Amino acid sequence: MEPGKPSGNGSVRVARERQLGDLLVRWSFMAPAIVLLLVLLAYPIFYTIDISFSRFDIATFGAGAWVGWDNYREVMSDYRFWESLKVTMIYLAFALPIQVVVGFGIAYLINAEWAGRGIIRALFIIPMVVAPVVAGGMWRMILDPLWGLMNYWLGFIGIGPLDWFGDPNLAMAAVIIIDTWRWTPFIVLIATAAMLALPKDVFEAARIDGCNWWSTLWSVAVPLLVPVIAATFVIRWLGAVKMFDIVLAATYGGPGKATNVVNLFIYEEAFRSLRFAESAAMAVIVLILTMVLTGLFLRASRKLEELF
Amino acid sequence: MGTVHIRDVRKSYGAVEVLHGVSIDIEDGEFVALVGPSGCGKSTLLRMIAGLEDITGGEILIGDRVVNGVAPKDRDIAMVFQNYALYPHKNVRENMGFALRQRRVAKSEIAERVDNAARILGLEPLLDRKPRQLSGGQRQRVAMGRAIVRDPNVFLFDEPLSNLDAKLRVQMRSEIKELHQRLKTTTIYVTHDQIEAMTLADRVVVMNGGVIEQEGPPLELYDNPASLFVAAFIGSPPMNFLEGDLVQPTVLQLQDGTRLNLPVGDRKGRPRVTIGIRPEHLTVAQSGWPATVSVVEPTGSETQITARFAGHLIRVIMRGRTSVRPDETIHLTFDERNLHFFDAAPVPEVAEMEDVA
Repeated sequence: MEPGKPSGNGSVRVARERQLGDLLVRWSFMAPAIVLLLVLLAYPIFYTIDISFSRFDIATFGAGAWVGWDNYREVMSDYRFWESLKVTMIYLAFALPIQVVVGFGIAYLINAEWAGRGIIRALFIIPMVVAPVVAGGMWRMILDPLWGLMNYWLGFIGIGPLDWFGDPNLAMAAVIIIDTWRWTPFIVLIATAAMLALPKDVFEAARIDGCNWWSTLWSVAVPLLVPVIAATFVIRWLGAVKMFDIVLAATYGGPGKATNVVNLFIYEEAFRSLRFAESAAMAVIVLILTMVLTGLFLRASRKLEELF
Repeated sequence: MGTVHIRDVRKSYGAVEVLHGVSIDIEDGEFVALVGPSGCGKSTLLRMIAGLEDITGGEILIGDRVVNGVAPKDRDIAMVFQNYALYPHKNVRENMGFALRQRRVAKSEIAERVDNAARILGLEPLLDRKPRQLSGGQRQRVAMGRAIVRDPNVFLFDEPLSNLDAKLRVQMRSEIKELHQRLKTTTIYVTHDQIEAMTLADRVVVMNGGVIEQEGPPLELYDNPASLFVAAFIGSPPMNFLEGDLVQPTVLQLQDGTRLNLPVGDRKGRPRVTIGIRPEHLTVAQSGWPATVSVVEPTGSETQITARFAGHLIRVIMRGRTSVRPDETIHLTFDERNLHFFDAAPVPEVAEMEDVA
């Protein structure tokens, strides 16, 4: 309300109109972003949830009759779904720790000032910018049992030839190797940045206190880095649970179902077997599982930060 | 033996030499302060003694041993850093005992030595806290405790009080002095604060631009500064300077033409000089150099007067109180023993005084 104006019904109405106009202007600025978010993010999620509770109608490509928890009951009793979840867990249980440890390890080793460090860092980015399908194809050739470079090299140290894509365990190892090759550089970048930000004088104090290389790493560097390590783990976890592309290109879930991660299984069920409703239910289950576990990791990493 | 000998030590980073041959002999139990403006090389020198920086040229001996190339941990030194450099994930007890644990000292002995140091520094109630649960002063005390526990031959302090507020700084200063009197460990203390250096040290080494300007007991530097730089750096408020030509042995002509009668002439007979007089050595008298008072600042025990004189600002400190008012003309005199002559040069920035426009 402007000062000096007689206060009465009229001015209240003016004020209300101005408020309304203000509100309109604000929302009109936000509208494009809201529409974009609704179309691109919210709609697909609600569509997925909707069809997961319905009979899928191929004709309209949308939700048919409401069937309640039927789809969920069905996939929960499907052993293949649990198998694929187990495969995903195995992959995560190996890939995540390996990538975090190797990533921080490499960063620690290349952290010292030396000529050519910039070039090495630039080279490290290459795996990240290679398309995952290309990476998968490339590694298929490297790991080829007959003609692949890997078996050629392993032959020199008396190992092999290994049937990388024929043996269930080796196929999983191959997937983990490719994924590690692709994502470790990302962790190296984060870790390098984190290490540059560490207080120098604490390390100098450690030198004076008589720390050797190992105790500097274990008693000083790692404790200082724990918060970053935890955060990196969560970021990498969020990427890794979506594992799909490399498996698709390298093993296609095989041999048998040895590398059939849950995302590939859902994709197969939807677009090969056309069981859209069931795969939607699985997608929702995976989404909830991921959210719960992510929440747990975040809590744990906050606890760790308090501890250090 | 806690002696330290620094012999013609040089330090270069690439083609740039930052220390141009520095020599200091430090006796067992002595407290030596390295003081100078930032970039003078004092911290670099300390870090070279600690072994954190390579020695480009010259020798450093701790005890009778040349320590060039000896690892920091084998030099039998302990260092207190400006930012404390405590291990953030270890509690006070672990921080203090860490060096001994690295040397595989028996647990019972570590506990005893940590408790002993904690008692000296009054840290007993804080032993189980993490550094982030401590105040700045407490952290610095822990850092000192970490040094004491090792019972080294030499303590190295790198601007340990710079991060503390003024009041705490004064308190910690006397604690450090007390600690030194109690332990009598050789101490090398780097600071840019000349008051800290003066009050703490047995001997002050003033550095500037990678060389030693002057070294000696604090009051010796105060009474007989060897250079304009030392004269300007030591003392607060700083010495008053006037630059001019000695047109007669005891007549100084300033740039604006003002002629001043001096009680004595320059013993070295230089034609152009910068003269210096400390604020507390000037007295207000019936006759003398006439100056116009611009500011009077009483602090109770003494009064600081700032006056305009021949285009310069002159500071005068007098004991007690005064009836002098701004814009009044006062006459300044001084004892001839308190007049210093230096090579004519602009006053170093450490004590730059504003010219009156």
